[in-house]
Amino acid sequence: MKMDDPKSAWKQADVKNWTKRHVAHLYRRAGFAATPDELKSGQKLGLEKCVDRLFNVETTKFDSMMKKMGATLLAARETRSLSAWWLYRMRFTPDQLLEKMTLFWHGHFATSAAKVNSADAMLDQNRILRNNALGKFEKMVSAIARDPAMLIYLDSQENRKTRPNENFARELMELFCLESGNYTETDIKQMARCFTGWEIRRKKFRFNPYQHDNGVKKFLSQSGNFGGEDAIKIVLAQAAAPRFIAKKLYRFFIADEPTPSPEMLEPLAQEIRKSNFDMGKTVRKILLSNIFYSKQSIGKKLRSPVEFAVGLKRALGASVNLNELANRLEQLGQLPFYPPNVAGWEGGRKWINSSTLLGRANLVGDLVRNNNTKWADSNLAVWLRKQNAARPEQAVDSLLELLVAVPIPGAAKSKLVRLAEKRGVKSHDAVADLIHAISLLPEFQLS
Amino acid sequence: MTTRRQFLSTAAGSTALVGLAAGVPDYLLAACHQTIAEKTDRILVVIQLSGGNDGINTVIPYADPEYYKNRFTLAVGKNAVQKIDDHCGFHPSMSGFAKLLEENRIAVINGVGYPNPNRSHFDSMDLWHTAHRRNVQTPTGWLGRFFDQQKTKARDLPGVHLGREDQPLALAGEKVHVPTMQSLDDFRLRLGNRRQLKKLMEDNVKVKRDKNNELLTFVQANTVSAIQTSSRVEEILGKYKTKAQYPQTGLGRKLATVAQLIGSNLKTNVYYVTLDGFDTHANQAQAHAGLLTELSDAVKTFMDDLKDQGNDKRTLAFVFSEFGRRVRENASHGTDHGAAAPAFMISGSIQSGTHGKYPSLTDLLEDDLKHNVDYRSLYATILEKWFKTKSKPILGKQYKTMKLFS
Repeated sequence: MKMDDPKSAWKQADVKNWTKRHVAHLYRRAGFAATPDELKSGQKLGLEKCVDRLFNVETTKFDSMMKKMGATLLAARETRSLSAWWLYRMRFTPDQLLEKMTLFWHGHFATSAAKVNSADAMLDQNRILRNNALGKFEKMVSAIARDPAMLIYLDSQENRKTRPNENFARELMELFCLESGNYTETDIKQMARCFTGWEIRRKKFRFNPYQHDNGVKKFLSQSGNFGGEDAIKIVLAQAAAPRFIAKKLYRFFIADEPTPSPEMLEPLAQEIRKSNFDMGKTVRKILLSNIFYSKQSIGKKLRSPVEFAVGLKRALGASVNLNELANRLEQLGQLPFYPPNVAGWEGGRKWINSSTLLGRANLVGDLVRNNNTKWADSNLAVWLRKQNAARPEQAVDSLLELLVAVPIPGAAKSKLVRLAEKRGVKSHDAVADLIHAISLLPEFQLS
Repeated sequence: MTTRRQFLSTAAGSTALVGLAAGVPDYLLAACHQTIAEKTDRILVVIQLSGGNDGINTVIPYADPEYYKNRFTLAVGKNAVQKIDDHCGFHPSMSGFAKLLEENRIAVINGVGYPNPNRSHFDSMDLWHTAHRRNVQTPTGWLGRFFDQQKTKARDLPGVHLGREDQPLALAGEKVHVPTMQSLDDFRLRLGNRRQLKKLMEDNVKVKRDKNNELLTFVQANTVSAIQTSSRVEEILGKYKTKAQYPQTGLGRKLATVAQLIGSNLKTNVYYVTLDGFDTHANQAQAHAGLLTELSDAVKTFMDDLKDQGNDKRTLAFVFSEFGRRVRENASHGTDHGAAAPAFMISGSIQSGTHGKYPSLTDLLEDDLKHNVDYRSLYATILEKWFKTKSKPILGKQYKTMKLFS
């Protein structure tokens, strides 16, 4: 299979030997890692049905429970609990893909509760992101342009005719839709005039016609008496827009590096344009593609802290001490609802440094040895036995298949097998040691 | 160009190298010269002000009436300014810096920037980090390239980043991966007394892997560096305790840790810390004053602590931000992204006072201050005059150096 040919890269994959490792890859990227049951059933389903399963999930019951939890949280007016609420949702939602995409958009339209300092505004924004996560991008951008949390975050509560606020116009092009290099400082200044009169009063959006500049604005080779809605349409009509979204989706789903060539991205960008920025269709194309199941993708991403921690808990069937997890994730560099700045988390190699590596291994050690952790299968030894992995080598294989995206060196594996032989795999503590040992392997950080 | 005589004089004392010098090609001599020159005990502490610091309200041009016209609500009264010279002075909340000036320990470099200023936080910070060399697949930082250029293998890693944010790109090298620490106490593998498990885990990290897998090699190198540095930190912890009373602020705590590592004789050349929050688009006055206090108090305590240690003459603190802010304040009592701004260098061996001309408040470029000093001149000065290493291979071009050190 020639992956450097853009045409065949995006064609529907023809995976001859569909294995649990493929299922694990799909679930690591499209969700927060598979459970042993999902691996088994996913393998039986085959590729296309396995992807379909991610798009068709019944969530009514879960949603109403989460809504109630959200209401309790708002009553407490505690922004820090927002992260715990979302982590719970990621860990237990039946709709893994939707949650993963919501996290993607949170990084894209990054807004931090540290500055907005209002739990309801942050939760409202989170709802916008989730409702549009697999919908039409333009609808999402329009909603974000009026979103109190975003406008507070960008210091754009006020936007007067006499002194237009450039911030939203700048980020709309630089971070949300086009990327720098595709517009000028003059474009920003002119476009800022379109959004004059868009204000936030008492945490609500309102349009103030007295502060709106009704003059002619000239930007991106267009001129006219444009308003904010027009500005968004003009931005999305730029050739750079679908390319930029394609590039971001590629980095999120396919690989951190190297940056794909424009030719490689073109078929995906065309799909985005053709579908009028339908994100569901676009993501489905990615998850079914040749390139997604190729060497260019498997193991070519670094797990984010949230992916790593939520994924581990899902895979092992562990309960979550949510506030503790939130604190740990902050140290590891990714606390949901608290991105570092307007550009979101840079990710990739930035996730990894000596502190976060030690921190990840410590988190795993603390989780598997904490007496307060509740296990879906009473303990890790019982959990492992259920996977028909009674012998030491089987146990190691089974753990690696579930937890590690790529094969590890033979010498490293032998050491793990010897540990399993010496300690056995019949006690919780022995299995805990094995998992802890796996967590410092460089391969463990790859996705 | 290094002459043979210079090389021999630098190498004096190392008979092996003098012996080698006879009849070896010039390029090898040059390489040897680098090795020797870089055996330095000098330390650089970079303090990055993230978000774009309002330079005009940090080093205030109090003698210029234009300042009061443009900063209608944010201006600081002439009498409140802590004078540096007859044109400019520190913001009133920066008494730490004012004291450092009295003690001849701070250089204020006015009007630092670069041509065609970029007003995006990320792009401009990238330029500062990479020194304008971003157009490659895996970009490296100016300090990372400095680490890569060092030929000797020291016992400790050449750089350390202290903080919770992502590691700054400035430190990224091709070969060298330096550690990030959040706190010294957390910087270890928690394994209790499971010695055998610890050994197995560490051994498994070192097992050979496919060198062509760049991402995996990157993680492996970082894991090795984490293990190495954490055991070194464990070894030195408790050896040195400071008597200094640091302010209980984020930057205060970070600089206390840096001082502890320097005092414990860690052979690290570069420490990197950041102070965030300078993106003051709205209601700037109070927030900005608070940040300036945090900065100047922490740095003053740090320099005093180093003086007690006897390390202040070999340590240089360098303070910068990705850009300054617009001359005219905005409608929200804040300031928008600008261009040129002052940088600071603090050390026991500094030419104290102002350097570089304060930019005009009327001769502007798209409403922003024009720069008089290219930031890469500061890098060249640090590399050549402080670390005694060649700057051209690192910066890609020869930049003018300044006379900043005594």
